[in-house]
Amino acid sequence: MSRAEPEAPAPAGGEPAVTFRWDLDKTYLRTEFETFRQLVRIPFESAADKVHLPGVPQLIRALRRSALARGERPYVFFLSASPPQIGTAIRQKLDLDGIEYDGITFKDQLRNLMRGRFKSLTEQIGYKLAELLEARVRGPAAPREVLFGDDWESDPLIYSLYADVLSGALSPARLADVLAALAVERLAMARIERAAEALSEAGHVDAVARIYINLERRTPPGRFHAFGARLVPAFNSFQTGASLYEIGLLDAEGIPDIAGALIDQSGYTVERLRNSLDDLVRRGHLRPDTRGRVVGILERSGVRAAGARKRLRERLRAALAEWRERRRRAAVDAPAPVAIDYEHILQDWSRRGLRGA
Amino acid sequence: MPRIAVDAMGGDFAPEEVVKGVARVSLESDIEMVLVGNADRIQALLDAGPYNPELISVRHASTAIGMGEEPREALRAKRDASITVATRMVAGGDADAVVSAGNTGACVLAAAKNFKLIRGVKKAALASVYPRQTEYPGQDVFGLLLDVGATIRCDAVELAQFAVMGSAYARRISKQPAARVGLLNMGSEETKGGEVLVEAHRRLRSLPAVNFVGNVEGNEIATGRADVIVAEGLLGNVVLKLLEGISEVATSLALQAAHESWRWRLGMAMLSSGIARMRDLTDFKTYGGAPILGFESLCIKAHGRSTAPAISNAIKVAAKAVRDRIAPEIADAVAQIR
Repeated sequence: MSRAEPEAPAPAGGEPAVTFRWDLDKTYLRTEFETFRQLVRIPFESAADKVHLPGVPQLIRALRRSALARGERPYVFFLSASPPQIGTAIRQKLDLDGIEYDGITFKDQLRNLMRGRFKSLTEQIGYKLAELLEARVRGPAAPREVLFGDDWESDPLIYSLYADVLSGALSPARLADVLAALAVERLAMARIERAAEALSEAGHVDAVARIYINLERRTPPGRFHAFGARLVPAFNSFQTGASLYEIGLLDAEGIPDIAGALIDQSGYTVERLRNSLDDLVRRGHLRPDTRGRVVGILERSGVRAAGARKRLRERLRAALAEWRERRRRAAVDAPAPVAIDYEHILQDWSRRGLRGA
Repeated sequence: MPRIAVDAMGGDFAPEEVVKGVARVSLESDIEMVLVGNADRIQALLDAGPYNPELISVRHASTAIGMGEEPREALRAKRDASITVATRMVAGGDADAVVSAGNTGACVLAAAKNFKLIRGVKKAALASVYPRQTEYPGQDVFGLLLDVGATIRCDAVELAQFAVMGSAYARRISKQPAARVGLLNMGSEETKGGEVLVEAHRRLRSLPAVNFVGNVEGNEIATGRADVIVAEGLLGNVVLKLLEGISEVATSLALQAAHESWRWRLGMAMLSSGIARMRDLTDFKTYGGAPILGFESLCIKAHGRSTAPAISNAIKVAAKAVRDRIAPEIADAVAQIR
């Protein structure tokens, strides 16, 4: 079905490890394929033509560095539905960005075509879920995983299914029902069921700490409530970084790295970054005290808000308003994890005319 | 970049339409906005649609003033009302201008309480833009009428100051270097209208900074004869409501006739593009809001029935007014006539 590079060996003897699984297009790369012309151009792009999303290389490098500093082995894998023919340019791009990674998987569309598996050409859910589960079976089976996707395809659903299979929250029978409702192709379904069974035999682990969905299409974040608090819709890499900092997977040094990249390369201002943090707090994905710490890190690193030079009276007034807001927010509980109602999500998809597999 | 405080709780369709309007601007411009109101309700509404969080912040305000409340009493009783918090933010330098579709009286009073009048200005004026005929190419399709309700009665000096402020606004916003100013009156002769209007006419004629075209009668309001029409608040407000009422009655009568007769229906179908154009022109959505002039800080008052497009246009007007430095322009113009 697909062609994968040999992946890293499983961590030996329960070695502390953390795995970061990244989608490629619209999550790492700013790939444009909205028009036929853009789609056709992709295979001919060189590494230099490819553009990453602002702050994402800095985030990946900081995640690796933070894991190593904690004494954990970091694994970084990329999973793409693009064909392997663009692999050379992608690898060169990752090298250019200074990204160390442990594996990259492409969808072998040519083989699907040659074998007459036409449904596999367009199927995303079956392909990605099978690849994720099989990668976990092959190892490394790190005790913690973080998944990164986008709002263009079915990443929220695929990643949530993956997380629930690992944790055992989704029984084999219910998984089969969901896959059938999604009209997942027969071969992909068999692969998924085999891998799920192998993982079940190895013992369920609630490994997926967070799922980050890059809101590249500006999908309303409320649409993701059904996926529970584990899934964090993020408008930019700074929001993702702040959330990862809160759960201890990103160190303090990573914050100014990401912020600096957004400010220097993408025209962000400190005010906009602060607004991003506040948005995450209001949506219940970041605690107010973490927000305060992140702002403190930014200020200590020399990145100051535009209002920093305001008169003392104005600064005091702003600080008072901020304190009031934090006190008000502190009373709001973080959302509790919820059991995902996949049937409801699929009904909602069907109502909105979204396709399944 | 301008930072606009938006009263999220003000207006007949608030906060839903206000939040939608802000979200829309966040996706199509680089204007920074602060939504002032019930933070939890605001976020729930933001969550339901597309928006850019980088350009939106939220300032919690525990109460709001209803459209039907008595403004003075409501402002006294609700010290943390969204319009008060928004104007305080502007006064404190946390935002550059405020936009509200809420209770007009409360909006004017909140501005009066928290903003300083420009030196030399006796009273602030609420302006309104209205559609009118144009007389020459490039003339703005909207005229400016002030005051439409910030005052009730005015003296001649105040009316002359309104003319200066309106001219400065038209100069910056409509790019009319010598906006034609008219005084709303009951006749074209300079002796008409009573003591105040006669004196106002005399003063306006003697001001070199104002391109005064004389008295303007009611039937000339919708023509392009004057770009800025000056009136005391009572009269201006009656005129404004009359213009809105005529537009609504005309639309309603046409729809009723079309419902009753197939000939009317056919006629309206044939005229549909013209009717749509007329509706666009008379629709307050297209111009969003109008300023309260005379304060050092800027307040744009949007129509109480504003929906998202009107709110987003009002925000854009506010940002443009900030960028074009309206308040300093008015201060300079007023200083010249002192």
